[in-house]
Amino acid sequence: MEKIYKIIGLVKEGNLVVMEGGLSTAEQTELIETTMREIDVEDDVENFIGIDINTLDKDSSSFFGFLKKKTVITVIGPADVVKTVEKQSNFLSMVAEINKNES
Amino acid sequence: MGFFDFIRNLFKNKQKVSIGLYGHPNSGKTTLANTIASDSFGKNIGLPSNVPHETRKVLKQEKVVIKENGKELSFDIIDTPGIATKVDYKNFLEYGLEVDEAKDRAKEATKGIIEAIKWLEDVNGVLLVVDAIDDPLTQTNITIIGNLEARNIPFIVVANKIDDPKANADKIVSVFPQHTVVPISALKKDNIEELYKEMFKKFN
Repeated sequence: MEKIYKIIGLVKEGNLVVMEGGLSTAEQTELIETTMREIDVEDDVENFIGIDINTLDKDSSSFFGFLKKKTVITVIGPADVVKTVEKQSNFLSMVAEINKNES
Repeated sequence: MGFFDFIRNLFKNKQKVSIGLYGHPNSGKTTLANTIASDSFGKNIGLPSNVPHETRKVLKQEKVVIKENGKELSFDIIDTPGIATKVDYKNFLEYGLEVDEAKDRAKEATKGIIEAIKWLEDVNGVLLVVDAIDDPLTQTNITIIGNLEARNIPFIVVANKIDDPKANADKIVSVFPQHTVVPISALKKDNIEELYKEMFKKFN
């Protein structure tokens, strides 16, 4: 699960990771488990408290004509950086506080 | 134990149903577990609380029985810690916890979330408890449902807290149109009979 460690590493550095498409169920589960192992409650200054995951999905019809959600974009960021998220069927808006430790 | 008892127990164990209660912290899993357990044998199994992550270890209650139209469904309840993508000990300070107490709670909560995910391998039915006041389309709910579908585990989406005026169970129905959604209030025991009816259909 190199992909998951890479995502967590980037997010822990304060980055927002924007991915085309989505994560598989196994990857989503691994992401939550890894996040829980990485949460640090000892360091009061720059502690990692977890992640925020948001996706933009669109309806896509399968071979049999059933409507199915397909993830177009996935945005993963540090939970203390992502402030507000607004989601509609074809619209994802996020407000993040970047470089909060440099101000 | 004689040979025939051994064979009987072997078949009994094969029929054993373990129903996991999954969902976000504070969605009402333990309240629902208590409601089901108290209907079965008049006793609670956990301590519900307004402070998030009150349940930080899996609580298991064996041999819970619910009845419907003269039929019985026997199962074990697995009340799991709420699953989240973030745990900030500072949130617990708002509930009057001391810093050390809050940090310990956060550490235990992270372990509890991992434990809850591991238990997905051992349940054969799930009640996904969703707070009807909140937006149901969260990464946590999506991940839980994805896991259940991938493992072919039957589940019911329980839209809890419908006694709250801010609750919007219709939204949960519209978000999960392909799944069975039962609106209830675990606290007030509203519509619990309907939930039991669906549990008989799904888990029997």
